[in-house]
Amino acid sequence: MKHPESCIECGTCVTVCPVEMVGGHAIVTFLADPDATDYSVWLCTSCWRCQEACPAGVNVYELMMQARRREQAPAGYQASFESVLACGLALEVAQEDLDPVRAAWGLEPVRLPPPGLVRSLLRRGG
Amino acid sequence: MMQGETLAYYPGCLVLQRMPEYEAATRAVLRELGIELEIVQQAACCGAPVVESFTADWVYLAAYNLALVERMGHDTVVTLCGSCTNALTRGARALEDPGVRAEANRRLEPWGLAVTGEIAVKHLVRLLAEREEDLRARIVRPLSLRVALTNPCQVFRPGEVMGFDDSMEPQSLRRLVELTGADVVEYGGENECCGATLYLADRKLSLAAGRRKLEATRGADVLLHGCGNCQLLLRHFQHLIVRDEPGLRQRAPNLRQRALFLPQLVGLALGLPAEALGLREGTWR
Repeated sequence: MKHPESCIECGTCVTVCPVEMVGGHAIVTFLADPDATDYSVWLCTSCWRCQEACPAGVNVYELMMQARRREQAPAGYQASFESVLACGLALEVAQEDLDPVRAAWGLEPVRLPPPGLVRSLLRRGG
Repeated sequence: MMQGETLAYYPGCLVLQRMPEYEAATRAVLRELGIELEIVQQAACCGAPVVESFTADWVYLAAYNLALVERMGHDTVVTLCGSCTNALTRGARALEDPGVRAEANRRLEPWGLAVTGEIAVKHLVRLLAEREEDLRARIVRPLSLRVALTNPCQVFRPGEVMGFDDSMEPQSLRRLVELTGADVVEYGGENECCGATLYLADRKLSLAAGRRKLEATRGADVLLHGCGNCQLLLRHFQHLIVRDEPGLRQRAPNLRQRALFLPQLVGLALGLPAEALGLREGTWR
């Protein structure tokens, strides 16, 4: 990944990152030190604190997302993505399992997304 | 009795499938304020962060959901998770670009949908913060609880897009909790993410983040939040956190019932029955 030119390597992002707080190394490790190799762009909680705290205005989130799209995803992300492709939701659920739970809570019935929806929305334009 | 109003409600994957009590408590509290929610039928995943990690086309998922709201005739959609709030709001911002909007509508056309106007995406914290005075007038059972907060990260950041409260040190959730009479206990981690979404990439680190928060808030009666992801990690996965750190259960009394959704706490102060809020009667006084 190319180190962003606007980054001043001040490390502010590292100090606010919840992943770094528990000993993991996120993209912020690379921002603070362009020579770092021991980090992963998948280690992120999407809390946006690094980007918000950045004094140089680096768009950390977009940088991270673009890097992710070039890499192999961890199994958890892959499974969740495949679920969205298959049924439109990050977790698969059957209508017949959902209906009685909602009824028991007095919640209005809900219909799940139509089959084929997500693949159609994500297909490359032609 | 005030004029009734109806808002659209976007059911995120997690709350829809795992946390019906969050939706039920939300509806019960809003009903007291004269607000009914109409669920968005056939809503799909908001798109972030999972779909966004694979393709920039995630924005068309947000567009689909916003178009459904528009078709219902609503201009505001209520959300209960930080991630959905964030994705739908960023999606709405992206759709202000005429090129993005045109492409979105090209893809939505086969589904009989289109984005033509603007939809305001409002997380429950924001909706309640806007009705603070109305809420204050309806508190009939002030609570004597010590409450630790965890702010739903993605409701406030990026500040430039979310446009609500202070982006790094938001105060809305604190003010709402103080309305109930409860004491807010400081622990310094109010704006630190719980770590739930990290679970998809690294379970150990995610549980470590959750443990850090449960440990830091162990003196409080309640760990209050406003997001399905927080509940997933801090309550549903609590047994996994405790398995790696059995001493935590001794250090933190009432660990099992400590993670609560904002409307559960507010609902108690409004005098609503505990069962209607997904809580056991007799436990909360």
